[in-house]
Amino acid sequence: MQYVIVGIGGQGILFSSKVLGKIALSRGESVMGSEVHGMAQRGGSVISHFKIGQYKSPLVKAGEADALLAFDQNEAVRNLHFLRNGGSLIVNVHDAAALGNEHLKAYIREHDIRVYPLEGYELLKKHMNGNFLFLNVLIVGAMCGADVGNVSYEEVRNAVRELSPAKFADANMKVLELGYEALKGV
Amino acid sequence: MEVAKTVSTRAILLGNEAIARGVVEAGCLVAAAYPGTPSSEILPAIAGYADELGAKTVVEWGVNEKVAFEMAVSAAFTGVRSCAVMKQVGLNVAADPFMSAAHFDLRSGMLLICADDPGPHSSQTEQDSRFFAMFAKIPCFDPCDAVEAKAMVFDAFDLSEKHNIITMLRPSVRVDHCRQDVELGDIIARDQGFRFEKDPLRWTCLPAGVKINHPKLNAKNDAIREEFETDYARYNYEVKASGQAKLGVITSGVQFSVVMDILKSWKRNDIDVLKIGTPYPLPVRMVTDFIDRHENVLILEETYPVMEMQLPDRTKVQGRWNKVVPGAGELLPEVVEELLVKVLGGQETVTADANLKAALEELRITPRKPMLCPGCPHRASFFSIRQSLPAAINPSDIGCYTLGINQKGVDAVIDMGASVTISSGFFMAQKASGMDAKPIVATIGDSTFFHMGIPGLVSAVYNRHALVLAILDNGITAMTGGQANPAVGDKLRKGDKGAVVDIEGVCRGCGVSFVKTVKAYDVKAGKDVIKEAWEHAKANQTPAVVIFRHPCMLLRQKQDTIPVRVNHDACVGCKFCINFFNCPGLVFDEAKKKAVIDERFCVSCGVCRNVCPHGAIVSTEGE
Repeated sequence: MQYVIVGIGGQGILFSSKVLGKIALSRGESVMGSEVHGMAQRGGSVISHFKIGQYKSPLVKAGEADALLAFDQNEAVRNLHFLRNGGSLIVNVHDAAALGNEHLKAYIREHDIRVYPLEGYELLKKHMNGNFLFLNVLIVGAMCGADVGNVSYEEVRNAVRELSPAKFADANMKVLELGYEALKGV
Repeated sequence: MEVAKTVSTRAILLGNEAIARGVVEAGCLVAAAYPGTPSSEILPAIAGYADELGAKTVVEWGVNEKVAFEMAVSAAFTGVRSCAVMKQVGLNVAADPFMSAAHFDLRSGMLLICADDPGPHSSQTEQDSRFFAMFAKIPCFDPCDAVEAKAMVFDAFDLSEKHNIITMLRPSVRVDHCRQDVELGDIIARDQGFRFEKDPLRWTCLPAGVKINHPKLNAKNDAIREEFETDYARYNYEVKASGQAKLGVITSGVQFSVVMDILKSWKRNDIDVLKIGTPYPLPVRMVTDFIDRHENVLILEETYPVMEMQLPDRTKVQGRWNKVVPGAGELLPEVVEELLVKVLGGQETVTADANLKAALEELRITPRKPMLCPGCPHRASFFSIRQSLPAAINPSDIGCYTLGINQKGVDAVIDMGASVTISSGFFMAQKASGMDAKPIVATIGDSTFFHMGIPGLVSAVYNRHALVLAILDNGITAMTGGQANPAVGDKLRKGDKGAVVDIEGVCRGCGVSFVKTVKAYDVKAGKDVIKEAWEHAKANQTPAVVIFRHPCMLLRQKQDTIPVRVNHDACVGCKFCINFFNCPGLVFDEAKKKAVIDERFCVSCGVCRNVCPHGAIVSTEGE
């Protein structure tokens, strides 16, 4: 499995690969990934690559990702070329109208991409008092709900629980479920 | 004697953590660094693993890379294993001791870990430190991933000790910031007592010593090259194609990993790959033999032709000399794929999809550039400085505040500490040309001030240069991930207290006669004091210092929250706030032609209330 995770510096995208890594390790599988640190992560576009299985390079090549997790919809469009034909996109939507762009729809159709939109900001406003720092857990939950990424909800729950600092543990589990339920069976 | 602890297990580590783990397991007892992407995580991880494994390793930030390198290398005069850690441009700062100490016959192992940044992602150059190893005539290891990087640490220490020479580990950014499952081991026990034997010819860099040591250094290089030819098959080896090879690819470092994954995805069996993990001194026989056996050869290495230029004859090789391989930029998988297709005589396959291109254009989506965080005190400081003296020239420095370019508050940046010296250069040029002096207001961060700002400031005082230096003190080294520095006083390990070095006191000690401190969020006070500082500088022909103080947002200290909104009756759509304040939380609605608060990013610092010339940004308090 090859994942590409994109967003804006400060959104906490590295959390997703930590969760995936924990799961892979508990299964006894090898992992390889790449992260962004330093000036490149300061408020600008950020990208994280993550591969589970027998790979050597930390980078996913364009056209080979099985799943694209996008914390920001503009970053989703910018990085859509990473997805293979038939790949899946989980995308946090803040401007649904833009996703109706005809060229975008044509690309998605041609490449048989399954799109799972998630109104993350609205959900966090409604249920988490507008604390957008929970976006990372929400998206991991949504990925699981949409049955994308080849990980079970149980595995994700265990990994998130282990990775959560004690004071956020309960809130993180709540947000995880929120994301899971939002895209479950879509 | 270290006590070995049994902890063998696997963990997913950042490449930099794997390197740090290797350093501790190899029994390194002195480690020093200055933070810099992509190397910053290594030193804190050394401290973490040393604590976990019960090692007594002394781990410290130096105020700059020269300081860190000198501390580490001199520990290796005494029988104690040591390492210095820095980014590629950090080695420029440490070049003087590096070039000199390369000649020394060290007593114990000394490893220089120098992290390169092809791209570059977070640097002012994409220089190749392997060339620096060649320049200093010391051996260099170039790992292809985190697992190999950790293994190479042990070999680099052993090689260093065998030949009494500094060795370099050169991880590139994709190794530093890869995440991989890595085997954890125990500390290898070794005797390491402090023993310094007086021997001036050995430990001083006198020309008389160089006459002995330089030929000796050459002999070491010859011996190490021979060892790399025969004894390092774990790092230097050939992956043979199962079929008849149409192409031979020579790789160094992470390029090996990139090529192997492409070949796997292509399912091709007609390409041989030679992996070199020790690019200097290059095992020339091994590489030449590979070239001789192939009609078509491609050489891939980042970012300079270090292996290529060591070849006695490179005319048969497709590389940088004949411009087949790009001479700048990162060799990403897409670039390498295209190169492979090209040298195999095929058509280029990677083309931008027309639909995706059109969608990006119509939706006006461009890469989001790095910017100061919402609530960042630097944004307020830049706004004050810029509004106070709009005609001023604004040199700046290396750190988060280089992003003040978005606030139009950064006109020139060269390297660490040059904010002061660029200002001096401008002052001298204005003086020479007999022009009326334009105000010069430079910005520098707290950590960068200690790193290399002080010599320039002393020079400006001594030479009577009229300039204002604004020190943006956010109590942290922010860009590289939040390391403490002398102004903070905390050392690397939690609870390890150092002494606080007071910035105001340092400036006064350097002879600066005007030193004032303001709260960074207080825009009015900031504007006033910058004006006053420039008047003082001009009248007395001397530098003046203003310290803008407020904690970095990454420290997440509690502060007042002042929620704001844009009053659209008052907003005239002039974009002044966008152009000069440029906050992620304040954006322009092209449809309405008004500024709006982007609640996804706004942290309610309230500073922007002082920004709008029409008073359109107001507090929602009580609404």
